Amino acid sequence: MNALAVRGAALLCALLFAVVPVTTAAAEPAVKAQEWSAYKEKFLDPAGRIIDNANGNISHSEGQGYGLLLSYLAENRGDFDRIWAFTRSQMLVRDDGLAAWKWDPAGTPHITDVNNASDGDLLIAYGLALAGAAWNRPDLTQAASQMAGAIASTATGTVDSLVLLRPGNHGFGRQDRPDGPVVNPSYWVFEALPVLAALAPQGPWDQLAQGGRRLIDRSMKIGAAGLPPDWVSLRAAPTTADGFPQEFGYNALRIPLYLLRAGISDRALLEPLLAGMRDSGGGVRIVDIGTGATRQVLNDPGYRIIPALLDCALNGTRLPDDVRSFSPTDYYPSTLHLLSLSFARRRHAECL
Amino acid sequence: MKPVVFIAGGMALVGALVFEQGYLDVLWPSGEAGLQAATSASVVQPAASQQQEAADTLEQVAQAQPQSAGGSTQAPGPGQPPQVDETALRYFSAKGDTKRLEAEIARLRALYPEWTPPENPLAVRNEGDPQLDEMWKLYSDGKLADVRKAIADRQTAQPGWQPPADLLDRLAVAEAREQLVNASDLKQYDAVIRVGSLHPSLLTCGDVDVLWRVADAFANTDRKDRARDAYLYILKTCEKPEERLATVQKALPLLPRADLDQLLALERTGQDGKGEFEPVRDDIARQSLANADADPNLVVAQADIDRVKKLADANGPATDDLMLGWYYVRRDDPQSAEQWFSKARAKEDSAAASQGLALALVDQNRPAEAEEALYKWRESSDDTRKVYMAAVANLLAVTPPPPIEPAVLQRMAQAVAGEKDAAAAQQFGWYADSLNQPQTAAQWFSLALQWKPDDEPSAYGLALSRWKLGDKAGVAEIQTAWAGRSERIPTVGERSVETAAVDTRDHGQQPAVQPAQAPSVTEPAPRAQPSPAPRGGSAGTAAGQGGGCSTTMDPSVLAPESALTRGWCLMGANRPMEAAAAFEVALRGSGKTRSDAAYGQSLAYMRAGLTDMAAVSATKAPIDSDRSVELRISLLDQQANAAFQQRRYMETLMALDERSRLAPEVVGLMVLRGYAYLGLKRFADAEQVFRAAAATGSRDALRGLNDVQTARNPQN
Repeated sequence: MNALAVRGAALLCALLFAVVPVTTAAAEPAVKAQEWSAYKEKFLDPAGRIIDNANGNISHSEGQGYGLLLSYLAENRGDFDRIWAFTRSQMLVRDDGLAAWKWDPAGTPHITDVNNASDGDLLIAYGLALAGAAWNRPDLTQAASQMAGAIASTATGTVDSLVLLRPGNHGFGRQDRPDGPVVNPSYWVFEALPVLAALAPQGPWDQLAQGGRRLIDRSMKIGAAGLPPDWVSLRAAPTTADGFPQEFGYNALRIPLYLLRAGISDRALLEPLLAGMRDSGGGVRIVDIGTGATRQVLNDPGYRIIPALLDCALNGTRLPDDVRSFSPTDYYPSTLHLLSLSFARRRHAECL
Repeated sequence: MKPVVFIAGGMALVGALVFEQGYLDVLWPSGEAGLQAATSASVVQPAASQQQEAADTLEQVAQAQPQSAGGSTQAPGPGQPPQVDETALRYFSAKGDTKRLEAEIARLRALYPEWTPPENPLAVRNEGDPQLDEMWKLYSDGKLADVRKAIADRQTAQPGWQPPADLLDRLAVAEAREQLVNASDLKQYDAVIRVGSLHPSLLTCGDVDVLWRVADAFANTDRKDRARDAYLYILKTCEKPEERLATVQKALPLLPRADLDQLLALERTGQDGKGEFEPVRDDIARQSLANADADPNLVVAQADIDRVKKLADANGPATDDLMLGWYYVRRDDPQSAEQWFSKARAKEDSAAASQGLALALVDQNRPAEAEEALYKWRESSDDTRKVYMAAVANLLAVTPPPPIEPAVLQRMAQAVAGEKDAAAAQQFGWYADSLNQPQTAAQWFSLALQWKPDDEPSAYGLALSRWKLGDKAGVAEIQTAWAGRSERIPTVGERSVETAAVDTRDHGQQPAVQPAQAPSVTEPAPRAQPSPAPRGGSAGTAAGQGGGCSTTMDPSVLAPESALTRGWCLMGANRPMEAAAAFEVALRGSGKTRSDAAYGQSLAYMRAGLTDMAAVSATKAPIDSDRSVELRISLLDQQANAAFQQRRYMETLMALDERSRLAPEVVGLMVLRGYAYLGLKRFADAEQVFRAAAATGSRDALRGLNDVQTARNPQN
């Protein structure tokens, strides 16, 4: 436990060093002004909502969380406050204090599913916590603390002595579906956990981080793919969950990015991920878990940068030119792209 | 200006309470005493809740205001003229937005009692801050996120710049309002109350919609007393007539009548002498009747009933007649119910009116008319289908069988086949049997068994029909299949009616005996007819068409043994209430007669659906242990079903549990158990039992599984 606490504290320091913008006037933000400007031009509605343009222009709590994080990394307080204002008044409407996950411009009411998504909750709380500390904004810190408390008390659960994140507070548990509990390993925004732990110390944050690591380890052993699936059933031995594509897909491909951003450099974990996800042309493979066959190769630079970043962190390989500059494509890969670039700038300048 | 003062007073009152006790749960302490106790301990005098003194307390209230405004406003020091931020005032004035201007003046007055509003706000020197003006404009346009952005951008560009506290306060309140309304639209009631408690300045007469939403949140989270207090607060504090009336309308479906009466006591009388709530009184009476429909034991004031009757007679909407019809159905007055449902249909023929009428007619033993009334609407809903099937089953069960037009028979048969309704199919079987058509009867019984494999009466009917057709192998097949599950099926073909009757009298082997004669069968058949009357089931055989018990008579003139025979005969004729009366006479006998009578009466009441009375009958005399267990099982079946119908799911489960200690749970009851779990939202339990039942091929169980999924994911 002590060792863990020490590791947690060390991690926290590393993190704050990594993600808190350096406040000297000369330093450029981790997300450059023109990058943020291009991103928001395409994905930020003036009312403060991040638009998932490839998905019916809906918004979700995950997108709001990414928006908060990116505008914070871009040090754009105006846009941050704009996104936060929308998030709070439109989505933080659940009884338990977490965010309703889905907002549809065509729906009445706009929240068309009041369930939460715990990755969105983590991202929102994390963005608020970072901005609250960096900009000395007690209102943001307080909101982050409340969400952290709500996440700790309602969005976590224990399966086989592992503390895990419920994907949503409704519909994923043992009682809710024949293959429940079902979890999503890509919901662990590892870098957020120590930051939220500082705000809600009573929560099982260390155990949650350990649980996530164990889950990823075990999920990689499910099938011939050697990669974690998007959705995992923990009814018995870990396996792919019913009703979802049985693949290392759009969800899981961000797992390595989250690991790297959290300062996790375990080669035994990262090397198989790199080997498994990258195709010969540097694209990201969507992989059939059972057979290990490639179902699709994603070549958007926002996806390609993830294995490239792994290669950089593990082997010092420089990022290829085509991923070093940013121009927005679709909401999701563009978001991953900026999260990757900003991380490389702060932690692996040698790869740029 | 007076209303505005009251608004501000009320607002601060609420704020003070919140800060005194910390949470909106205490916002409207239940009852006036609670309110006073809470307020007298804080800055507000007890009288503050009374409007005429609100102004007097305003000064004290105002001193509490900075607290409730988030601590962002500084009260002026003694002797100093207050530093009042009049930016908003100028802006609204320039815009010609008098409504907001007045609200702002009232708000500033509440904050700064010494402050005098400028005569002409426009004349006030413009301090020339176009950026700030732009922020106010965005605020005024409702672009709250844009205001946030503008503030943050300016603070980035101009370190140290602070927006006026006024702007921040209003922005926070406006955002909170949005959040509260969104939460309310999504029925996130705890969130509504939480946001309200954090922003007491939202809770004013100036925005009564928010007060309604908070009250609604209380009412929907089992805090009806708090909801009532919120509505009372509005009626005591707010002035707009249309909002006061709407408040009562909102409270109407949410509060019990006693609480509603407290609200009505605050009615004001207009200059025309009419009470302000007069327009809603009709709806109040209607709601009373609607509540009575939900709770058959609720006593409704005669004045309310009379009012709705008057409305209905004065050509009110058909729903008024319907409501009266349902009221009387639930009060066991089918004649009155029939009258009102008929009136409703005359105004507007509808599925609901026809369903009600059919129910009332079935209750009056007029199933033919019920069938006729509902036929057209039978497909409208599950309820209409059920009632229609009940009408069909009842019509077919009438003894002696009434003549039914071929066209009607045809359409009933089609409906039964469409619904796969085993109970009605079984009745078709008995009906055909009574018309000496064993071939047809056998087909219907087979169908009933196909749809409900555990339907013992249908199996019995099928065995009888096959026996009449001379199909001994077919009879044996059923007897094998039902070995150990039915007492009477093995007896089919065993003995003649005559010997059976003698047996009963002499040895008590067979309790149920047909009258001396058996239904005439046209097909060649053994001379001696089998016909132990059905037991514990709902079927009647074709008895009572001559001799025996076909005439009506007072059983009290009979000797106990004769009464017992007559009781069984009436059971055979499916006239259970008369049978119960005959058994009552037979109970005067002793020994075996008395025991049989208790058993028979219990069966009779059960068949009539009078489970409670059946239970009583079973205790009137010692009943031998086999029969006693059988009775107990039947009683529990009926109790479980009756409890389920009344949505008393726990009782359903208790009855089923007890039954399962006596006999294995048949598939039909497993399904019932599944639905009881579902009713209790025990989804996993429901799923488990449906899954087990579905494994036997039960389609009802499959449907149950589907219903579980639907209930779990109401969004889908």
